[in-house]
Amino acid sequence: MPQTPHPLAGLKVVEVAHDIGGEFAGLLLAQMGAEVVKLEPPEGSPTRKVGPFAKGREGPDSSLNFWFYNSNKRSVTADLATPSGMAALKALLADADIFVSTLQPKALAAVGLDLAALSVAYPKLIVLSVTPFGLTGPWADYKSSDLVALAAGGPLNSCGYDDHAIPPIRPGGNQGYHTVTSFAQIGVMLALLERQKTGRGQVLDVSMHESCAVNVELANPYWFYPKVNVQRQTCRHAQPSPTQSALFRCADGRYVYFALILAEPKAWSALVTWMESKGMAVQLTDPAFSDVAYRQAHFHEVQELVECFFLIQDSHDAYHDGQAAGLPIGVLNAPEDLLDDEHLKAREFFVEVEHEGLGPVTYPGALYRFSSFGEVARTAAPKLGEHTQEVLGKGARTPEEVAP
Amino acid sequence: MQSSAARAESADYVWPSRKPGARKGPLAGVRVADFCWMGVGACATRLLADFGAEVIRIEDRNRLDMPRRLPIYKGEARTYGEEDANPDPNKGGLFNNYNRNKLGVTINMRSPKGKALADRLIASSSVVTENFAPGVMERWGLTYERLRELSPQVIYARMSGFGHTGPHAEHRSYGPIVQAVCGLSYISGLPGEEPSGWGLSYMDNEAAFFNASALLTAIYHRNLTGEGAEIDVSAVEAGINLLGPVLLDVTVNGRSTQDGTYPTGNRLEHPDAAPHGVYPCVGADRWIAIAVFDEAEWRALVSVMGNPAWASEARFATQAARFANQDALDALMGAWTLDKDRHQLMHALQAAGVTAGAVQTAEDTNDHDPQIASRGVFFEMDHPVIGEARFEGTPIQFSETVQENWRSGPLLGEDNAHVFKGLLGVADDEYDELAAEGVI
Repeated sequence: MPQTPHPLAGLKVVEVAHDIGGEFAGLLLAQMGAEVVKLEPPEGSPTRKVGPFAKGREGPDSSLNFWFYNSNKRSVTADLATPSGMAALKALLADADIFVSTLQPKALAAVGLDLAALSVAYPKLIVLSVTPFGLTGPWADYKSSDLVALAAGGPLNSCGYDDHAIPPIRPGGNQGYHTVTSFAQIGVMLALLERQKTGRGQVLDVSMHESCAVNVELANPYWFYPKVNVQRQTCRHAQPSPTQSALFRCADGRYVYFALILAEPKAWSALVTWMESKGMAVQLTDPAFSDVAYRQAHFHEVQELVECFFLIQDSHDAYHDGQAAGLPIGVLNAPEDLLDDEHLKAREFFVEVEHEGLGPVTYPGALYRFSSFGEVARTAAPKLGEHTQEVLGKGARTPEEVAP
Repeated sequence: MQSSAARAESADYVWPSRKPGARKGPLAGVRVADFCWMGVGACATRLLADFGAEVIRIEDRNRLDMPRRLPIYKGEARTYGEEDANPDPNKGGLFNNYNRNKLGVTINMRSPKGKALADRLIASSSVVTENFAPGVMERWGLTYERLRELSPQVIYARMSGFGHTGPHAEHRSYGPIVQAVCGLSYISGLPGEEPSGWGLSYMDNEAAFFNASALLTAIYHRNLTGEGAEIDVSAVEAGINLLGPVLLDVTVNGRSTQDGTYPTGNRLEHPDAAPHGVYPCVGADRWIAIAVFDEAEWRALVSVMGNPAWASEARFATQAARFANQDALDALMGAWTLDKDRHQLMHALQAAGVTAGAVQTAEDTNDHDPQIASRGVFFEMDHPVIGEARFEGTPIQFSETVQENWRSGPLLGEDNAHVFKGLLGVADDEYDELAAEGVI
């Protein structure tokens, strides 16, 4: 089989990332073929301390949080607060194409790093700064986290329950960090394209706060145009005023998302036919309901019948039958459901990654598929300092030697 | 009086400032035949248009793009379901938001002449993008193989909910369905309650961003090798990549997420942060998020609170104890924040070294956020029908690369004459015929 080319093959990336926003950005580069060296403090990246841990065994090399975002990288330990550590970083940067940094201004100053000066010293280098609030402005050194980023940036305001006595609820899975990574990835690809034209690198200052502020979908245009703030609703779009529930409980206690659209005649007749096939259409087959205005006037009646209809079905059956009827419906899959999904299996989406002592571990597959090139095979995240000697040379000390 | 769209279609632009010129940016010289519509596709190709690509939106007059129809208008607060029967296609704010810096043409793809015109446009483009349901482009004969005949190094980006292969490829999908199927909705909510999921089409945006990255990667690769590509991005698969470490907890540790204790609302499972929540402040539905990860942050929080007696109780003495007693801790935190202003409290906590942020609305981030204002991520451009409008910019400050905001969203068919006559060389009489026959 011919070797699939990797578009970023040959590019050298140095990553000093203390949060998953920067680490995910490094991962996306590594997956397209770049060689990513992750420079960590001797005690390891803070992300190695975050669980869950493989088989519950805590330790820097068993954090699943670290594994998820650090495949295909090499780990080198160096203490940037020491002259030798800084010298190691500078030596790597002299030969690098991209420097990923999550250090905020005070942290940069503390170790004597000046990103603009680096850009002057290494004109081809693309400096990708990925920070909570950006490198400038009154909040530049404010602390953040996934929850705080989603709160201050705006997405959180749209998420939660109909009952506003309950606070807005953070959507799961580190989406504040994932949002800034998305823009970091776009930025670095634009900078690589710019460098193809000019031969010069540059500094990119990517802010998680701003990334979240432009990732609120309709909340922004609703403010730009009618000047209204949207109100959160349970598992459906936040809107200027309340709309009908779209979450339906099924017989197995699971849920489907189904937006009941009364105005579309085709969707309406598909729904009634489907309900009738289960003997559940009752009065909806009454000719009066073929009139949109009548349906809208009897919306609550329709909603109740649809609620009952879903309550007697298994959620996955409802999903497949509803889609087969041409209706926009989705089952709320739990993560473990995905591993058995026939569609994902047919697309061979999930990949197996060999882990020492564990055997193959299932990871999500490619984010995007290309016909003429592709990503590198996923490999396990490096152990702490696994590549220190290989990268920094034989004189470099291993973590064991550094440890007291 | 002529409609704004009809006036715009005369060869000379009624508004000279709207006439396209040479573009700046890393993508200058890249022409995109953009069949995208709705949110995902338009948001992806917006990134290309912002940075110099000549993105030509191809629209159908008989099937208006949904963002042109949705009633997001100045001065009228309606839900997006309350659309007009015959909306002014040039008045929709959402369309303007997604389609700045692009050109707009109309082609009736159901007519043979329309298809032939599209072929000419594709032949003069090096990128083609689409996010129809799988099968639509094939019905028009626009397979990757055909596109390569028209434009040998073409990059063909195909954006869909489920991808272009597999048994569910033709499932109906939009943001909330993708979020449901990929697991993101399920992992969001209070334990034992129905999922709260998402109050926005997060995956429309995220799939758009990953599609933009994929396009940029393919262009980079083509610049190096001369080779084009067909790109297949499934929003569901992108969403699974965003589930985060819980997925590995399932595959490595066999943990169940269905035992009634998961998800955990605003609390974290890992690390043992506490307090970690969203607490009420002064005002209707006003909140602050506070996240305390270690001993130093806890001491700082207690100091800002004025060292209340409860904070020194044994049940809150260590991080582990606070984590174990979050019900009590959250109740006390909420009682303390209740009479505070969310922004003043955020600044007081941050000044002391506590991670905290007011829950901000779009109004807050747009009009009252000094950090965003100092960096200028939002900007304004004029629009012939809508007037002055605000746009969400790109949250990246480049030291070299320029984002050139040259024009607000195109009016329906605004650039027909410029593109068909000027770029493709359609003769005047042929152009008039195409217009008269409803092909454009």
